[in-house]
Amino acid sequence: MIEDWRDLAQVVLNGVMAGSVLMLPAIGFNCIFAVLRYPNFAVAGFATMGAFAGWIANAQWGLPAGAALLVAFLAAGAIGLLAEELALKPLRPAGPLTVAIASVALTILLENIIRFAFGNDLKGYDLPILRDWRFDGIRVSPQQLSNTAYAIAAAAALFALLAFTRLGRAMRAVADNPVLADIKGVDPDRIARVAVFIGAGLAGFGGMLIGLDTSIDPLTGFRVVLSVFAAAVVGGLGSIPGAALGAMVVGLGEEFAGVLLEPAYRTVTAFLAILLVLMFRPSGLLGARA
Amino acid sequence: MTRFTTTRRAALLGAVGAASTFAIGGRAFGQGAPVVFGVLPPLTGAGGPYGPAMLRAVQGVVEEANAAGGIRGRQIRVVAEDDQTNPDAAVRGARKLIDVDRVSAIIGTWASASTTAVAPLCWENRVSLFTVSGADSITLLPHQGFIFRTQPNSRLQITTASDWLLGKGARRVFHLAAQSPFAQSSQDVMSERFRAAGGAVTGFIIYERDKTAFRSEIDQLMRSRSDTVMLNGYLPDTTILLREMFRAGFDGRRFTFAYAAPAAIFGSLPNEVTNGVTTFQPSPDLDSPAFKRLQTRFGNVEVDPYSAQVHDHASMAILAAALAGDASGTAIRDNVRRISQGDGEKVDNVTDGLRLIAAGRAVNFEGASGPCEFDERGDIRGTKFRYEVAEGGRYRMLELA
Repeated sequence: MIEDWRDLAQVVLNGVMAGSVLMLPAIGFNCIFAVLRYPNFAVAGFATMGAFAGWIANAQWGLPAGAALLVAFLAAGAIGLLAEELALKPLRPAGPLTVAIASVALTILLENIIRFAFGNDLKGYDLPILRDWRFDGIRVSPQQLSNTAYAIAAAAALFALLAFTRLGRAMRAVADNPVLADIKGVDPDRIARVAVFIGAGLAGFGGMLIGLDTSIDPLTGFRVVLSVFAAAVVGGLGSIPGAALGAMVVGLGEEFAGVLLEPAYRTVTAFLAILLVLMFRPSGLLGARA
Repeated sequence: MTRFTTTRRAALLGAVGAASTFAIGGRAFGQGAPVVFGVLPPLTGAGGPYGPAMLRAVQGVVEEANAAGGIRGRQIRVVAEDDQTNPDAAVRGARKLIDVDRVSAIIGTWASASTTAVAPLCWENRVSLFTVSGADSITLLPHQGFIFRTQPNSRLQITTASDWLLGKGARRVFHLAAQSPFAQSSQDVMSERFRAAGGAVTGFIIYERDKTAFRSEIDQLMRSRSDTVMLNGYLPDTTILLREMFRAGFDGRRFTFAYAAPAAIFGSLPNEVTNGVTTFQPSPDLDSPAFKRLQTRFGNVEVDPYSAQVHDHASMAILAAALAGDASGTAIRDNVRRISQGDGEKVDNVTDGLRLIAAGRAVNFEGASGPCEFDERGDIRGTKFRYEVAEGGRYRMLELA
């Protein structure tokens, strides 16, 4: 229970840290949705793939966490692009619902590839586990703080790409109006491939952040997919800043629910967030576009 | 040119003849058809570290029985499904085993939530269910005798654990439990035992297993000034909790079920985090010939208690069917106690058991997990518990009591 301002501050801090880990897969989800207009639930599989690629880089090759995160991003992005081209793109003419359903199947396939390759056991990164810092009774975990910093840096890099580069402007143009962008000479296929690479890569980056704080197994991505989807819907499907905001809302909501609600009702938090937003603001907190 | 004509009578006779052929063939097939047993262990999910070994243990027993001539000349076939440590998948697996494979027994459900979900399908379809799940509620279901449980129920486990902790000086224990059918009943038992001994359960949290962080839960633990924490969850969440307790500087005793912190945990947490973690589990009968033989079959590696238990499940199902001369689920249910308790000749393997039964002699099976004696509800009687402590990336046995 919350008894004084320190308890409240601690819950808020925990919520922000939980939200920052959800932020990147949610941004990845919305990045793909903005350009291709279908919900790609395979972000769960991409997150797991990224977490394992990062684990190989860190625990097997001995790379530091920052470099391993880059490997996680690139590997998950490449796997996402390959999966999109081979499995999902041929289904696009059948409509977004078909592609969304196929993406659920894809995430199960990716999860089982991991299972065959690495087994079911939990795996941990080769990092020292540091004791928490304490400020006037409030606990701050150095690992979680650095995860939050990594997440913010990755999100900032994406915002910079979208705002200041020719590629970013082209992506926003396709997200706004693909037909008009095509007339203006922007190749929508190329932009779709870039969006999928970045989206899947961010999911992989986020997957490894989850693993840095906990451990990884073949279900790492699947466990958070509901929260990621809730964050994307709450923020506004297709909106990149919305996904970041939505992740914070869901992260804080889950932490407060943990303190205030009976355990039987806690799982309802993510659903409740989706329901409330769809009732009062169907396009999400920050609209529908990047 | 020859003309072939078919009268209506000839066609009818032909049809009857063809049908008879199938019927005769079917009967002949029925006499020699294999007996099918279903295995439903957690090959993936939180129970994933145990399921594959459990399946191997069952397959080993069945191979041995088939080599000894099977059940009255009928070979035995094992069909496995993965319950994914998930009740939905467990129900799908059980439906397939019952409806498609026509099994007469299901062996090896692990998580209590899975067993609870699968049990009604079993008793409604007259299929015997052998389980290693601990929740008290399972054998309280109206299962008509179809459930046999070789794992001590959670009341017995928590009572034993509470008394052991009290004996070690624990007075203020905090209970962190994953949402499961035994979380609340464990809390009730612990509160009762600690209160009676002048101690207290200082806090009780049921958490959602799929969360990726448990900081708020650990905050509550830290505020409670407890000398002991009881971790009543599964491996993935226990791993995160131990990590966060280390970060937070919790220096009390960390006590948990062995299945929540098996040796696999040393692969994902450094020794400085796991050192001192104490686990307990119902122990197999380490000195029994059945256990030693199972250990040899596994290549002299450590045998977990669940593999020992399902080894006994398969053995009992085979011997019960052999005694009945009928491999139906009902026959197995009615004969398990007749081959596992009483004054019969003691046997510890299916080969000897099948030979004695064929010779018309009574048997009393004693397996790798223990004597395998059941009360009227289907619960196992009399089990030892093993306590271990983690030191330098391995477990050291503290006590077998």
